[in-house]
Amino acid sequence: MRPHPVLALVAANLRRHSRDRVGLFFIVVMPFVSIIFVGMALGGGAAAARLPVGVVAQESDPVAAAVLAELRAHPDLEIKTVGGEEELRAGVRGGALAAGVVIPPGSTRFELVMTQSSGSGMAARSAVDASVGRVAGVIEATRAATSAGASPAHAAELVRRAQAASADVEVVGSDTASATPRGFAYTAPANLLLFTFINSMAVAAALVESRRIGMLPRAFTAPVRRGAVLFGEALSRFLVAAAQAVLIMVVSSLLFGVSWGEPFGVAAVVGVFALVATGAAILMGSLVRSSAQPSAIGPPLGIVLGMLGGCLWPAEAAGPTLDTIGHLFPHAWGMDALLTLSRPGTGLGDVLLEVAVLGLMAAVLLSLSLVLFSRRTRTL
Amino acid sequence: MTDTLTCANLSKSYGGVVAVRDVGFTIAPGEAYGLLGPNGAGKTTTISMLVGLLKPDTGTVVVGGADLSADPMAAKAKIGYVPQEIALYPDLTGRENLRFFCRLFGLPRKAVRARVEEVLDLVGLADRADAKLDTYSGGMKRRINIGAALLHRPELLILDEPTVGVDPQSRKSILDGLERLVADGMALLYTSHYMEEVERVCDRIAIVDHGSIVAEGTRHELVALVGGADRIELTLDGDVDTALAKLRGLGGVTEAVRTAAGSVRLIAEGGRYLLPSVISTVDGIAAVTAVEVVEPDLEATFLHLTGNTLRD
Ligand SMILES: Nc1ncnc2c1ncn2[C@@H]1O[C@H](COP(=O)(O)OP(=O)(O)O)[C@@H](O)[C@H]1O
Ligand SMILES: [Mg+2]
Repeated sequence: MRPHPVLALVAANLRRHSRDRVGLFFIVVMPFVSIIFVGMALGGGAAAARLPVGVVAQESDPVAAAVLAELRAHPDLEIKTVGGEEELRAGVRGGALAAGVVIPPGSTRFELVMTQSSGSGMAARSAVDASVGRVAGVIEATRAATSAGASPAHAAELVRRAQAASADVEVVGSDTASATPRGFAYTAPANLLLFTFINSMAVAAALVESRRIGMLPRAFTAPVRRGAVLFGEALSRFLVAAAQAVLIMVVSSLLFGVSWGEPFGVAAVVGVFALVATGAAILMGSLVRSSAQPSAIGPPLGIVLGMLGGCLWPAEAAGPTLDTIGHLFPHAWGMDALLTLSRPGTGLGDVLLEVAVLGLMAAVLLSLSLVLFSRRTRTL
Repeated sequence: MTDTLTCANLSKSYGGVVAVRDVGFTIAPGEAYGLLGPNGAGKTTTISMLVGLLKPDTGTVVVGGADLSADPMAAKAKIGYVPQEIALYPDLTGRENLRFFCRLFGLPRKAVRARVEEVLDLVGLADRADAKLDTYSGGMKRRINIGAALLHRPELLILDEPTVGVDPQSRKSILDGLERLVADGMALLYTSHYMEEVERVCDRIAIVDHGSIVAEGTRHELVALVGGADRIELTLDGDVDTALAKLRGLGGVTEAVRTAAGSVRLIAEGGRYLLPSVISTVDGIAAVTAVEVVEPDLEATFLHLTGNTLRD
């Protein structure tokens, strides 16, 4: 059997990367350092702590008092009484509260305020549901409370309404639904994009070296098609980018419980983003002269693009202008897509636009960079 | 019998600069052919066109019957090319580099291991095969650089100045190795600006200058072009320019050039008998501190043909 020249190039390049200890450190260790530290700073690390749930209620209202008592008794929840609805929503949006419950006086129609994409919000919701579901106990308390003052008719009315209430707990939050999740759910995808890109740029150093020492011209003198050599070089970089992304996904879901979402959607987004990173790496490998430059230029460039794309802090914190500028570059689209996919019930169909934009960017970058690279390696 | 290499009418210009002008030659199977010329003569440019790295402006290249432009895969498979620089992965070992080239040249998977060991022995690097290339000495790098071109048993080995920057011992080992390969039947295209190397290794030599072949033949034929002339190397102390002008007018002197600050080279018919008049010619202008009369050689031929020296 004859070995394929593309495989020869890929094997040699991957072996070279595996010898580069600094490079490996940046691929294997750094992303997780970043995920953990930023993730804890953003409040996702305290998995064992009780979920903070804010409540707006008048304790004098008998129903509210009973529900509150039930919630306070829940082992997973830490109930904080909040002055008003605005404050509550702000707390949820800002991440200080996992969720919020509004109990209007004299009503059994509670409002649950949470961000749809936040894992801790989901957990809080099920806890609140359980509490409210145990409304029979609440009714008993209500009856006991009202037997002193309220008329029986009023009490019965309260019972009926309280029974219906469990079905009426509703998720409110069209205004908060798109908020960026906190903790690892945010830092894992953010660092996936950040490090896939940065490390792709850094490994372009090997590409510059191959060019500079005349390795590629020499390869072109073998009975191998020019396209095969270029494809082999591109595939080598793509595999590094893809390996980086897969490593972050696997480790973050095993260690930090990050759920990435529907596999086809995630594969499509990560795949096209890795292609974008490959194109950028080859462009870098064609443009610079010395093999020290990619590791000097790559990380700062990757960090700036990451900033604009919401990989260092949530996009909404940056404001609409920066967000618009960010969408000129791949990171913002990747971030949008991965955050969308991390919400339950979403899939490839919900990120088609992002995948298409990234695919277009990859196509432009790859064709441009390969033409340039081919030119740069033509002569000795 | 099919020639191993035939090239004809090769030309290449960079912008307005003509790097190679109408170059053509033929290499027979098992023949060692040399391109001898100073830096900038167009040797690398010519080779680049022969190995398919550079598209010639005009001309054709046929390797072992396969036309390079019509059937590049077949033509390239017959050539082993050793570039002037060390074009190997510095962060891989010698063995890994050779294995890579085996795969690139499509050697059958089963044959790779044995062939790599053979070539490692051939270039004398079996004991350092598992060290990374960036730990090799300059001479070792040169040898593995050549080894990488031998793996697929090419019909023609093309080397671009393979001894530049190499210590004398490594140079000797490289030249010995090349002679063994030629003895075993491999054809060679050797380029250098070192006359002694080309004289030693090559059966036939083309002298190139300013992009053109100015003469071609065996060493014997080329030296005969100078006729019975000798080469005289003078070291002078005094007004060298005036001395040079006077020497040019001396009967029998066909060429006179300055090779260094106080050094003058003459080509003169029956030079050894001319020495007394040479010395009296410069008398009073410069003192002759050293004289060497050299039998005609390629250096003399080069000077005779181009009015220049091989080394600057
Ligand atoms: N890529 C290039 N661009 C412009 N000029 C070149 C290029 N390559 C070679 N030359 C010119 O062509 C001439 C021949 O160069 P080269 O083939 O490298 O000579 P040699 O190998 O004999 O030293 C020189 O004058 C050199 O400056
Ligand atoms: Mg040269």
